[in-house]
Amino acid sequence: MFKKILIANRGEIAIRVMRACRTMGIQSVAVFSDADRNSMHVMLADEAYNIGPAPSLQSYLNIEKIIAVCKKAKVDAVHPGYGFLSESSDFANALEKAGIVFIGPTTDNIKAMGDKIASRDLMKKAGVPIVPGTPGSIKDVAEAEKWAKDIGYPIIIKASAGGGGKGIRVVHEPAELASAFRACQSEGLNYFKDDRVFIERFIQAPKHIEIQVFGDKHGNVCHLYERECSVQRRHQKLIEESPSPSVPPDVREKMGAVAVAAAKSINYLGAGTIEFIFDNNTKEFFFMEMNTRLQVEHPITEVVTGVDLVQEQIKVALGKPLSFKQSDIKQTGHAIELRICAEDPYTFIPSPGKIRRCRTPQGPFVRVDGYAYPGYEIPIHYDPMIAKLICWGHTREEAIARLQRSLTEFMLTGIKSNIILHRNILSHPTFLNGSYTTQFIEKEIVSEKMKKLFMFVDEHVFLVTAAIEAFKDSKSRDVAQYTVASRWKQFGRQKQMRT
Amino acid sequence: MYFHAESNDEKFEITVNESKLGWKVSLKKEGADWIHYEFTKDDYQYMDDTISFLFKNSSYLLDVTQHGVDYTVYTRGAFQTIKLYNEEKILHESLKAVGALGGSDSLSSEMPGKIVKVFVKAGDEIKRGSPLLIMEAMKMENEMRASQDGKVKEVHVKAGDTIESNTLLISFEKNAKK
Repeated sequence: MFKKILIANRGEIAIRVMRACRTMGIQSVAVFSDADRNSMHVMLADEAYNIGPAPSLQSYLNIEKIIAVCKKAKVDAVHPGYGFLSESSDFANALEKAGIVFIGPTTDNIKAMGDKIASRDLMKKAGVPIVPGTPGSIKDVAEAEKWAKDIGYPIIIKASAGGGGKGIRVVHEPAELASAFRACQSEGLNYFKDDRVFIERFIQAPKHIEIQVFGDKHGNVCHLYERECSVQRRHQKLIEESPSPSVPPDVREKMGAVAVAAAKSINYLGAGTIEFIFDNNTKEFFFMEMNTRLQVEHPITEVVTGVDLVQEQIKVALGKPLSFKQSDIKQTGHAIELRICAEDPYTFIPSPGKIRRCRTPQGPFVRVDGYAYPGYEIPIHYDPMIAKLICWGHTREEAIARLQRSLTEFMLTGIKSNIILHRNILSHPTFLNGSYTTQFIEKEIVSEKMKKLFMFVDEHVFLVTAAIEAFKDSKSRDVAQYTVASRWKQFGRQKQMRT
Repeated sequence: MYFHAESNDEKFEITVNESKLGWKVSLKKEGADWIHYEFTKDDYQYMDDTISFLFKNSSYLLDVTQHGVDYTVYTRGAFQTIKLYNEEKILHESLKAVGALGGSDSLSSEMPGKIVKVFVKAGDEIKRGSPLLIMEAMKMENEMRASQDGKVKEVHVKAGDTIESNTLLISFEKNAKK
């Protein structure tokens, strides 16, 4: 058994890992930057060490400093959380050299899946479907026409060096192909000095569906079913749910089996997630990438399957076999997670600063993984997510109703938060019927159609409250001015007395 | 006390009267009629860290922050920033010659970051909502847009600059007084 684990992370995930450690009787060691001295993970840990200035490169991403703390505190193992060094093979290697266990996959696993192009080939060999497309760039319209016919319309033509929406054309019919091809080539040449283009199937109703996998040192690999993460803003997840309302049961089993086969083919160790792009029209799924770490949205899998994923990570790192067989894993009910972030609900611009009031929801079937407290100053150096709100229900509708209820209780003032955005999404018909795609926020929430988020509050409450407070402020200022006038009088009197 | 108010780009007039027993607050949206409210001191109460307001028997827990003429009211996960001017404040603002109520003649950074791209240069005419620059902060790229029509007077930063919070980014020509 480990005696001490160092958590090379901060915020809510550091607290999550500490909770697993405490449950298992393991001492937890926190590391913190100068900006995080007052962060909750420092206060909840058994031991805490400062690892330097606020910028991540000088603290949470500094391998030497972290290893130095490991040695000083005599830790047995390190849990890297997510982000930061969790997918750094250099970090995993350095720990191995120092004789400290890295709670995660092997260095080979990390390297294999870290290279997006190489991992695609590895997955293809393991029988994982990848987006139908050309293996490389194509020379001319004739070749394009041949490939497009094979892949099947609609297709998307992409400039190899392209980005930012340039050098991309979607083609629905063969008649449009030639001109679209030439347009991509010329944009590629004009903007990126590279006229190479390739073709892929265009997924019209794309959803992001991922499968949680787990492997141990004895060759056992299981999956814990799927999570749907299609509600995204700026390509970052905002809402996740399990099970997905759009995946039919047979496809679900197939995705699980494919994910297990893929993980087995690379002798995967620990927790991992295989992300797929799912075509909601055809119900086909294609490999996108594999994340060789615990994900932010792991709580919904825990709530629906009853498995404590972090404890499982620690057990696997200790060399124990998985505490479950594939046949033990069932999805019970429905769980949805909302990422509560300190940001403007319209523009998504982060809103760091001091939290005034902070009351998180409680009550039946509610889980909050957060780290904010009243008076906490959200630092500018890290990401703006401050809490994850998870609700479970027997049905999807029940989970949503509980989330709406919880959001009315969630008090977070002094900074901007996206609570009101979540309330709007949870009332939106496209989310409620489950048909939402990864373009949902862009197309239906941020668009012209939905200029103002519905507030769920009588507008006059804002105006009346502001007016009463302004009245009070003015009254107290008048008193102060009166005092100032008196001081002028005093000064005048004193001056007269001196002359 | 009499206020001009601006909320969500809509203009209001508000009067507030306090008596020993309670409050009389009246609201008039521009173009609409006066609406009158009366509350007892019991209806609008200060608790340890919030205001408990029974507004038309609906129960609200509120928090309010103030910054100059901006009052931000938080309740039920929503928040609204309202600009409130009484006579003294209106005089003060007009002396500052910032033009229309709530106008601003510069764009400053709210947090440290890095300038990724600048879209405008001195002399450019800009429309409300048009993008001015992209700044990277808190691991995300943020596009900053013009809050009203105007003309760029001077751009103080360029792509690649690292900036602190409250750094002046762009100055605008002062709008003519209305």
